[in-house]
This record gives sequence, C-alpha cells and structure tokens, in this order.
Amino acid sequence: MGELTHVDDYPEVPVSLVPSREVLHTGEWRNMRPVLTGRRAPCSGACPAAVPVPAYLHLLSEGRLRDAYDAFTLRNPFPAITGRVCPHFCETACNRSPYDGPLSIRSLERYLGDAAAGLPLRGPERETGRSVAVVGSGPAGLATAYYLRRSGHAVVVYEKRERPGGLLRYGVPEYRLPEAVVDGEISRLEALGIEFRTGVSLGERVSLGGLAQAYDAVVVATGAWEGQEMGVEGESLFEPGLEYLEQVARGRLDLPGRCCVVIGGGNTAMDVARVLRRLGGEVTVLYRRTAAEMPAIAEESAAAAADGVGFEFLALPRAAVKEGGGLRLTVERMCLGAPDASGRARPEPTGEMFEMVVDAAFKAIGERADLTSFPASVRRGPAGWLEVGADGATSDPALYVAGDLATGPATVVEAIGRGRRVADAVNARLGGGYGLPGWMLQEQPEVVGPGEANHAYFRRQARSEDPPAEARDGGALAEETLTIGAADALAEIERCYSCGYCNHCGTCFVFCPDVAIGWEDGPVFDYEFCKGCGICVAECPGHVLLFVREKGDE
Amino acid sequence: MSERHLLTGNHAAAYGALLSRVQVISAYPITPQTTIVEELSEMVASGRLAAKFITVESEHSAMAACVGASAAGARAYTATSGQGLALMHEMLHWAVGARLPIVLSNVTRAMAPGWSIWSEQTDFLSQRDVGWMMLFAESVQEAQDFVIWLYRVAEQVYLPGMVAMDAFILSHTSEPLIIHDQDRVDAYLPPFEPLYDLDPAEPRAYGGLVARDHYYEIRYKMYENMERAGPLLAEAGAEFGEVLGFPYGAVDTYMLDDAEYVLVSAGAMSSNVRYAVRLLRERGIKVGMLRLVVFRPFPFEEVRRHLGGRAKVAVLDRNMSPGHSGIFAQEVRAALSLGAPATDVYGYVLGIGGRDIRVETVIEVVEDLLAREQPQRCLYVGVKGLPIGPARPGAEIRPLEPLRSEVAP
Repeated sequence: MGELTHVDDYPEVPVSLVPSREVLHTGEWRNMRPVLTGRRAPCSGACPAAVPVPAYLHLLSEGRLRDAYDAFTLRNPFPAITGRVCPHFCETACNRSPYDGPLSIRSLERYLGDAAAGLPLRGPERETGRSVAVVGSGPAGLATAYYLRRSGHAVVVYEKRERPGGLLRYGVPEYRLPEAVVDGEISRLEALGIEFRTGVSLGERVSLGGLAQAYDAVVVATGAWEGQEMGVEGESLFEPGLEYLEQVARGRLDLPGRCCVVIGGGNTAMDVARVLRRLGGEVTVLYRRTAAEMPAIAEESAAAAADGVGFEFLALPRAAVKEGGGLRLTVERMCLGAPDASGRARPEPTGEMFEMVVDAAFKAIGERADLTSFPASVRRGPAGWLEVGADGATSDPALYVAGDLATGPATVVEAIGRGRRVADAVNARLGGGYGLPGWMLQEQPEVVGPGEANHAYFRRQARSEDPPAEARDGGALAEETLTIGAADALAEIERCYSCGYCNHCGTCFVFCPDVAIGWEDGPVFDYEFCKGCGICVAECPGHVLLFVREKGDE
Repeated sequence: MSERHLLTGNHAAAYGALLSRVQVISAYPITPQTTIVEELSEMVASGRLAAKFITVESEHSAMAACVGASAAGARAYTATSGQGLALMHEMLHWAVGARLPIVLSNVTRAMAPGWSIWSEQTDFLSQRDVGWMMLFAESVQEAQDFVIWLYRVAEQVYLPGMVAMDAFILSHTSEPLIIHDQDRVDAYLPPFEPLYDLDPAEPRAYGGLVARDHYYEIRYKMYENMERAGPLLAEAGAEFGEVLGFPYGAVDTYMLDDAEYVLVSAGAMSSNVRYAVRLLRERGIKVGMLRLVVFRPFPFEEVRRHLGGRAKVAVLDRNMSPGHSGIFAQEVRAALSLGAPATDVYGYVLGIGGRDIRVETVIEVVEDLLAREQPQRCLYVGVKGLPIGPARPGAEIRPLEPLRSEVAP
C-alpha cells in the first residue's frame, strides 16, 4: 500500500488498494478455530465392516465409479453381496431417519456393486514373499483372503466343497443372492492371484499342522454348519434346515411335502420357510417364544409373513412320529418367563399339548462350529467355542480364526468385517499392508449424533428402494427385486447428509464472512484471516467441521 | 424528432429512464409510484428499452440490486415512494458511499401512520443528509427531464441523484409532455463510464472496513464532489436548454425582480403559487416567487442573491421537522445567515398529508404575512378550528374514552 499522506493519495471509494486482504489480520482475533478433520458417520460407525458410506456416495455422485468402488472396498470387497443380503445396521443408525426416513444405503451399495461388476479389485502394491493359507471360502474366508492378498501375501484358499463361496453359495437362497453374483466376486479374487483349492477337507487331505508347516500363517473360517440336537423323540425325522438349503442350491427343486413346518426363529428358519413357500409349500414356522424375541432379521421375518408363511408362536415340538407319508408332531404350548442370559424372555412349558400332521418338518434352531480338526492345544473358551481375540488370534500364534467360527452364527457383513481385521492382525505379524487415504486416516472416532446434522439444508424427499422385478423369468427362486437405476441412485445420494465427511458442498465457502475459506478440491482455511466466528461450523450440513479452542485460550 | 404527448408525471418519469437508456431497473411497486414501474416493465418486455428489469421483494433489495448493477458498470434506475424510500434508506447511504451514479424518482407521500398515500415531502426530505443530489420537479416535463439531467451530472461526479414528484398532483395528472428525440438525448448524455471496473482478473474488496485514520479523506472526496455538482448542474441545465429546448437551473423565479415579499416554494404547488402571485400583483402587492429546483447541493448563492434584503420572505413547506419548522424554512434561514442583507423569514407549514394547497390558500398566507410584525419560526396553515399561527402553548393530551365493556372483578 502506498503512502496515504494527502487526501489526493486516496481512491474515490473504499476499495482495497491491492488485491488482497492484507490490511486486517482478522486471524489475530480468533480464540476458536474450525478444523476439517472428518468425523465418523453413524452409518459407518454402526457397520461391522466400517464401510465409509458418505465417502463412496460422494464419489459416486461425482461420477467417479472407480474411486467409489476403491473407497468401498477398503472396508468390504463385496458390495454386490452385502448390497443384497445385509441387514443394514447403517440404515438403522442413519441421522436422517427422524426427518423423512433413513437413506437407502443398502440399495445404493447394491447399485455400486452392480455398476462396478466389470472393475477389478485393487491388488497388492508390492509382494511380501509371505504366504497364508485360508481355510473356508464363505464371506469371512473370502474377505480375509482378499485383504491378505492386497497386503502382498501369496494366498491359497482351501474349500471342502467342490466350489468356493461357502454360505454365500450354499446357504443363502438364490432369490436373496444369485449365484452369478458370488461367481463374479470369486473370479475377481482369482484375477488377483488368489488360488482356490476346492474339494479339500480339513482333517482329511490337509491338517492344521501341515498347513502351519507350509505357510507363514493359517486363517480358519469354516463357519458354523453343525445342526444342534433338540433332544426330542423322533428328532431324526426333522431335516436340518441348512442342509436343506444346500440341497436347494445344488438344484433340488422338488417340494419335500406340501404341508411343512419349520422349527426355529432365526435367519436360517426364515430362509427355509421362504424357499418352501416359493416352491409351492404351505409353511408354518414354529417358534418357542414370540415375534418380539425372534433372532431373525426383522425385515426377513416380515418378508416371510408377506410371502404367506404362517407363524405359530410359543410352540415347541416335543415328539414326532411317522404317519402315512408324513409325520405327526406333538407340540407343547409355551409361555414367556423371566429373561435369560441373552436378555430375552425365557420360554417356559405350560403342559398344554396340541398335535399337527404335516408332510415334512425342518429344524433350524441355530448352528455350531465343527471343532474336531483343531488340536487340543488350541485353547477353548466358555460354551465350547475356541478362545478368540478381537483380531481373530488364537492361543496358537500362527493360527487365526474368522467369521462364524469365531463369533457364532452372525451376519455376512460381520464375517467380512472380522475377515479384514484378521488380515490386519496377520499383517501386524508378517508385515505387509496397503495404503489408506488421508481422509480415512484423519477421521475422528466420535460419531456424528442425530442432533448435530443440519436438517434445514435438505428438502424432504421419500427414500428410494430396490424396485420389484416385474416377472420371475428365472424361475421360482429368481431374485425378487431389481437394482435401483442410476437416476434414482443419484437422487437418493442427494439425500445423504454426509455426516462427518466433507462432500464439497461448499456451504462453508459461501458462508465465511471473511473470505477466509479458499477452495482447492475442498475447503482450505486461511487462519491468517479466519476470526473464529464459527459460522462455517454451525452451517456445515454434515457437521464435518470441528470447532476447537486455540492453545492458550483454555 | 421530438413528440408531444399528453401523459402523467409517472409515465414521464418512465420516459426519462427510457431516453436515458438505463440498463438495469430494479424497483418494488408502491402507490403512487406504481405506474412508473408498470410503464417501464412494459417498455422492457416489449423490447423498446434494452434493460434488465429485476423484480425484488422490497425497496431495500431494489436499491441493493441497483448498487450491484451500477458497481458492475450499468446505468441503474429505480423509483419509489414514502414508506418504500424509508425502507431503502440504508442502501441510499451505500449507493453514495460507493459513489454510484444511480437515479431514483420518488413520488412524495406522507409517512404512516395514519396510513396515507397522499402528497407530502417529508419522506423525501428525510433523506436530506444521505448525500444524494436532490431535485424537485414541478411539471410532467420536469419529471421526465430531471432524470436525464441528473444522470448527466451524476456520472460526472459519481454521486447518485433523486427527483421528487408530488403524489397524484404530479404523478397522476396528465399534462403535455415533449418526449425528446433519442439522438439528441444521446448527444446530451454519453454512455456511462464506471469509476472502477469490477474485474475478476484483478480482485479487490469494495466497501470494506476503513480505519479511523482513512475514513475522513474518502468521505471528504464525496463532500467535495457534491460541491462540484452545483456548478455542473447549472452548466448541464443550461446545455439541456441548448440541446433539448428546456433550460434548467438550481432555482426558478417568478415576478421576483422588484418584489418586496417573496414566496419560497418547491414542487407541484409552485404552479398555484405562481397564479396567486399574479392575482396579488393585480391587487398591487409587490410579491414574487422563488422556486427551489435543486435542494442538494443547496443553492446558497442563488438564495442569498434572490432573498437578501427583501421586506419579508414566506417559506411554504409541505413538510415538517417536528420541534423545529418546515425544512425549507430552516435551509433558507441558514443560507441567509451567511452574510446576506437582513431579511425576515416566516415559515409556513401547509398541505400536510396531501391536503390541497389552493390558490386561495396561498393568498391567505400572503395576507397573514403582510399582517405580521415579527418573523415567525413556524406557522401552521389550515389546521381545523385554528387560525394561521404558531403551535398552541399548553395544549392538552386527551385520549379517547375507553371502548371496553365492563368486566366483572
């Protein structure tokens, strides 16, 4: 600025003499500063795999499919699978729920998975020269194998069945998860150099001891497939539910009987009931407690009811005898008692009995893991399961377990989340890994709460869901819904508050009264001029910005 | 070729904007200004006037839009009235501080409450100290011409200007209007050259914070240019006569040369004052009229020259500054205090809230003036039940009897 010693030195109006704000260093007034660190979105916080939902949605909205797929697969390699079968803990946690309903995150995940079907997964940045065996190729085994391979290890997957996929292929019915989707994901893993050795059972052709000799680490993810005993007379007349689902997956489409009962209230029971219903059966679910205590995903039990599956609650079979081509069941009426260890009301006998005559009965009362191939030296925990740390480590330092084998029957997304964490634990021991983007590393662990989102920035708009498939061209078990269309997906993404993640909406840039926010692929704070008014923090629609006290101003 | 039409003052103002080739119009309709905006919107919609018409939700926004347009280099125009001008007040300061030569036609209107749409100049004169040039039009012709005249000078001194037009008496009354030939207006009024370019290639902050050690100098330049505006208005008014056939000046006189008594007037009432002067002259009373055309910058020289040494001066104020007097009376007294020969100034307040100022009213004022021996600060004319005179000492406040019904305790 020139010397202003005479009135003629001045401009006619108050205009800055240089194209800058250099005169007033308003930053000196500040005692609080806005910082762009990112915080955890509730969807991401609730997801067992910790998928960075706002980030991949933002990238999708920008038309950056590859980047969106990369962001997603940092946490979960199979969006096309979880986009179909996940009970979406994310949506339950969504901050938009009280406004006009949660974001349709699962539909968008399925959209991403299908749109990215032709894209390869990111592979290793460098080879470590280490090798890992993964036993089991269900969701936990596949996720573990992927993250280990991405970390640079040679990975061999052992699978006792003739094809890989485990529960995804043999347990989840086709109408919920088409086999072609599973095939697609496995091809992608093969393309990264993961070797699948199928038809190899643990304990027969290979042993844990042998694998431990041949590989630097062994991860076992063989799931929980063993049916449990009810201890009732004639129990052998009940067909195990999971075995039935596997037979259906292998092409058994004849109805085992017109009138069927399914015993149990979990997800396997719902799958069995709905498959039978689709094949033309009349199906009744017998459950010893009431609808409120059912362990099945609420959406699945509601869908079963909508399919025409009948429910007989507070009913526990006590005996079965053959009668004609079918069987006669004696069922005891139960009542609810005090809560048990699971926190649910305990079913108690009433002594009142009734009979049912049915053509077939299926048992789906929960599964256990087969631990026979684990030597006694691997420590067991309470309830007869293995003793497993959060990272999948067992008492044998080279042996890790993942998925249902570690947790008991759980969801696909939990298996995937466990699988990735086990891979991290293996990396911690063997070395290797892969880079994470800055926004993910910077993210603060506090979850953005429902009261913190700025609803005012969003129009009310009903959520989109997977549209129903018009005709079942693919037969009785064909997928019932379609993947959401691109236009609907983009409109749905607009509904995302982007809690805790900067999606470049520009609100802070627009609101800053001091032009102290610049823009370089996102907001950049100029603390020389930011006077700490906090308007950007208050306005930020997704509550991404934190407002922190300056040092010395405590 | 110029054309002669029978048009209202409001339509004439719209023609003033049309002939000035304004590029941005932003206005909010308000009685009695509405027909200015209607006429301009039709001119723009029909393509007759190549301008952007920005509709807004308030007069404050209208002036804000004009400020933005003018800063971007467009010739900007607006029109308003009464409450609308009051709402615009803050932005009027901004326009002048930013040195933006915007022109505004204000149809003067009494301020509410009581709610009024009728003529009174208090709305306009309440903007006295903002720093805009201020003109009073008497006729439909002036309602048009003063817009053009103001742009010419505004764009020389980079100061905005406003024209007052009396509600209905001028705004809605038809008179013959010469609509000037566009080529001649173009010759008189060159295109607008903004003082500063808003150039994104060289970003600067406009209107930012100015510390105490600089503000005065920048304002001083504004004050100084307002002083320059006086001679420039005189020069441009004379040139208006040469190019367009109507010479204008800071004041207008009638039968003034030998007058012992002078009536000071402004705006549309001046026509009746002129007629009253003629009738009084027939009675042998040596009376004349001085009409104030330019109110800011105030024509001190002219006022002192025309009024100094007269026997008595009556200032007719269709406005009021409560606790003082009519505003013109204050201004005239102040001008005469600067070394002019002694003159007694009598302030008369009349025509408040649009009450008619008839020829008879003016004659009554002159009769009162002749009868008085002491100059009076403020005399009220035509208050029901009262003769012309100063405010009553010790008047009582008498509220209405309550209308409420009896309520049981």
